[in-house]
Amino acid sequence: MRTRVKELLLYLLPLPLLLGSLFIGPSEVVGPQDVLSWILRSMHIPTMSMNDEALVNAVIINVRLPRIILVFLTGAALTMSGNSMQALFRNPLVSPDILGLSSGAAFGAALALAIPALPLQTTAFVFGLAAVAMSYFLAISRKVVSTVSLILAGVIVSGIFTSGLTIVQFLTDPFKLQTIVHWTMGNMHNASWKKVISAAPPIVLGGIWLFLMRWRMNVLALGDEETRAVGLNPEREKLLILIPATLVATASVAVVGVIGMVGLAVPHMVRMMVGTDNRKALPASCVFGGSFLLVVDDFSRAIASFEIPIGIFTTLIGSPFFIYLLKKKRLRFGEE
Amino acid sequence: MAIDVRGLNFGYQRHDVLRNVTFYAPAGKFIALLGKNGSGKSTLLRLIAGMLPFRNGSIKILGQDITSLHRSQRARLIGYLPQFHTPFFPFTVEEVVLTGRAAYVFSVPQRHDIEIAERAMKEIGIEGMRNRPYTELSGGERHLVMIARVLAQEPKILLMDEPLSHLDLHNQMRVLNLIRKLTKSGLTVMAVLHDPNIAFAYADEFLFLKNGSIRTIDAGVNPWDQSVLADVYDTPIETIPYKGRALVMPV
Repeated sequence: MRTRVKELLLYLLPLPLLLGSLFIGPSEVVGPQDVLSWILRSMHIPTMSMNDEALVNAVIINVRLPRIILVFLTGAALTMSGNSMQALFRNPLVSPDILGLSSGAAFGAALALAIPALPLQTTAFVFGLAAVAMSYFLAISRKVVSTVSLILAGVIVSGIFTSGLTIVQFLTDPFKLQTIVHWTMGNMHNASWKKVISAAPPIVLGGIWLFLMRWRMNVLALGDEETRAVGLNPEREKLLILIPATLVATASVAVVGVIGMVGLAVPHMVRMMVGTDNRKALPASCVFGGSFLLVVDDFSRAIASFEIPIGIFTTLIGSPFFIYLLKKKRLRFGEE
Repeated sequence: MAIDVRGLNFGYQRHDVLRNVTFYAPAGKFIALLGKNGSGKSTLLRLIAGMLPFRNGSIKILGQDITSLHRSQRARLIGYLPQFHTPFFPFTVEEVVLTGRAAYVFSVPQRHDIEIAERAMKEIGIEGMRNRPYTELSGGERHLVMIARVLAQEPKILLMDEPLSHLDLHNQMRVLNLIRKLTKSGLTVMAVLHDPNIAFAYADEFLFLKNGSIRTIDAGVNPWDQSVLADVYDTPIETIPYKGRALVMPV
């Protein structure tokens, strides 16, 4: 029964967090009281007057709300993707970046920032997907994709795109260079409804797809031969998981930039809470991953008068938390 | 015929593993597959299980050509227990056993599948460890879990590669008695066994492989005959008559 309660709490976690995050922001005009009044008013509960109703409305609706939603979507996407890829590769050290996704997207973004004719998000998205596809096709030999060759191919493709990124950075002017560097650190400060609308469909679609595949991940995690023996084609199943996992991660990276640690560490936190079974771990990844990034983003907004790039912050907050969990509740992996 | 293999040839690259293997196995029998290391036993089992593609020869299971079966149809017919298994994530025993139901499941296993997995665990006597992480089990316990998994698959033909490896005497008997019970209910079991004594005590039929070919036995000669075993294992052997069959002793 205690696990039931814990799980219920986990799934209810986003509600207070989403609501609470509305209160946080650098605006001096819009205080906590104004947010509270705004929330009560939107529920048709009469309250005292606000500072400046139009301004409060604008800040909440056009600045804070899209940001909160985008942050939650990103956290959910990266964690679900990381969880799926770790199951797929049977390797706890894998993250969505392993197949060159982030380097590809970063190169695409840099290219678009250097050449104004290219649309930023689309270019980043296309190059992120292209990098993963390259890794995949490089790794195919005789219709079989071995995990080791896929990871090796990913490392090589990552290297190629990182070099490409460096070349673009080297050739571009200092002003654009700064924008590129900012992009690679993850940026949430210019979240907008437009970004939410472009990121949400692939993330939601890929998320549903992964949700349907969640138990197959259990089967696949036991090994190729063991998967084949129970009547599934491991190569086909891998691709059926790899595609949505790449889709959700690339969609978020293309919009908010590179955010480290989340795809690697948060799936482990989730498994420590709900267990290895992906029937539970995948939906929990969605809920907890979103909540995690939301808290991190709240900190990055509240802690200093200027904003710390979220990509840096996830690593700074994520690493100690991860180490704590690692020490406290040892990760148990097969020794062989 | 439960298993009907004809003219089967197989090799990895330039190295021949199986040469013109032909044999039949009747339904409801326990068939022991015996032979030296590297004689092709595991390869033969994997081929019958549909784990490996082959060009020459034919394999029919209960009258159906295995190359014409869809992989999920095949998995409902043939259960295959691989030799080694190394897991990475600490799935619980129950979760591992449940994966045997993959051929019957669309997205997520239903109550019905969970009940079958439960029965399989009881059958092999591991229901007490259902919530233990698979990665923390001993080699023998893991083996029992994988046997429960293949039972949850509800196959008609069960192919087992060294089902007794890593098991203590108690669990060996448990698995052998289970095999006997399964064959009585109509299942066909073919298993690679290393101990000829156990084979002669429990199995109904015997299949010997030598250098990738079936070692045929002349009419009137028993499978437990000294000359047969000495030839198959390439080692001098003495046999002691026991309960109508024989006990085997290396000299």
